[in-house]
Amino acid sequence: MMVDFIDGSENITVHGVFNWILLLSIFSIITVIGNFIGYDHPIGDSLVGMGILSVITLVGVWMERRIPFNISSIIYISAIGIILAFPGMPTSEIVSYYVSKVELLSVVTVFLAYVGIGMGKSWNEFKTLGPRAIIVTMLVIASTYLGSAFVAHVILVMTGVPA
Amino acid sequence: MNKDKSIHDSNHPYREKTDKRILKKNPWKDYGLHVTVLVLVIIAEMIGPIQIKLINGIEVSIMPLLYTMALGLIFYLAKPIKWIQRKQARIAEGAMMLFIGVLIAKLAVSSGQSMHLLFEMGPALMLQELGHLATIFIALPVALLLGFKRESIGMTNSIGREPEVAVIVDKYGFNSPESRGIFALFVVGTIIGTVFISFLTSISVSLLPLHPFAFAMACGVGSASMNAASLGPTLAAFPGLETQIEAFAGFSNLLSFSISIYIVIFVAVPLTEKLYYWLEPKIGRKAIIEEGEG
Repeated sequence: MMVDFIDGSENITVHGVFNWILLLSIFSIITVIGNFIGYDHPIGDSLVGMGILSVITLVGVWMERRIPFNISSIIYISAIGIILAFPGMPTSEIVSYYVSKVELLSVVTVFLAYVGIGMGKSWNEFKTLGPRAIIVTMLVIASTYLGSAFVAHVILVMTGVPA
Repeated sequence: MNKDKSIHDSNHPYREKTDKRILKKNPWKDYGLHVTVLVLVIIAEMIGPIQIKLINGIEVSIMPLLYTMALGLIFYLAKPIKWIQRKQARIAEGAMMLFIGVLIAKLAVSSGQSMHLLFEMGPALMLQELGHLATIFIALPVALLLGFKRESIGMTNSIGREPEVAVIVDKYGFNSPESRGIFALFVVGTIIGTVFISFLTSISVSLLPLHPFAFAMACGVGSASMNAASLGPTLAAFPGLETQIEAFAGFSNLLSFSISIYIVIFVAVPLTEKLYYWLEPKIGRKAIIEEGEG
């Protein structure tokens, strides 16, 4: 399982970037259709929204591979997204308007379909792990989630943030 | 993993996986896979969210995102569906690493719009990271009572997604009991984590009177999928706060990917070890025979 983890990465090529663009286009089209069925958002506007998000992603993954620092694309993508939407930036209104036409949950619904299919590979390993591993995993997730929520709540109340 | 690989190197499981799958093959050519996803999405969005009432007004909401994930897994496992096989699963996995970017970008745009709030709530965001340590005090004793030995150190120090797996493998070595523990946590978490955190969130938001932003920050404790699955019921429970909740969940998830690995290295793992050596002689059971690889 973990062998995948360790192998080295490739260099980017024009071919690779082309693959990224096509994959993001497919993802955008599926998301926009789901976004229309589930939330009635107009197809044109949400397509522009997905286009903006795809470009941010593309620049982020490209920067990760081109810039010699050891920084994950997640950080670059977050930074670009925040800067573009920051109130006062000239891009802020346009980006916020179109991106708001794409529901987060529409993106996630498509994303998790791929996750579900990819997850199939782990199914056999999962079956060999006993119920004890499942109990411990559920406890780990529950206590991490609730630990985070309780601490955050206490600090928010202490610092006087109104609900 | 080689001992000489630094922790920084092991920060890149996403990049390596994505590159291996995407740069070599032509993943967009697998029409069967993408059309299947489109059909799953259409089915899921047409059904829409379902609310199930449990006792005393506790409500569990099942979101379309859980249908697509479950159906995706079923399609992979179902024998008659010949066009979704191991190869498609690998492509899906590689593509997913790219699509995480879109999800992160959406959360980042929400964060940018609510930047002023994030400055005000910085202390809560940072300190909730320490709340993650609750797992050590709750899950470790239970793991010991269930008969786990040193595996429990890997299993209970953190939520066990990719960055944490890399930390444990780097520290204890690939074939150590600690690594076996976190691999088990990783696999089980991959299969049930998303569904489990979604139900956990539904129940928590209807049962606990906590601050909406506290729930938002808690969404981000695990992987991007878990964050998303947890956001579903949270957004539904607090209408009108969508942008802020997305912003806090996004930021918290970002911290989970970046800062939390240092908390795992410097706080969580040493603390787990300490507690293990103190508790194991008291409540540890007779070692049970290892399952799986060993």
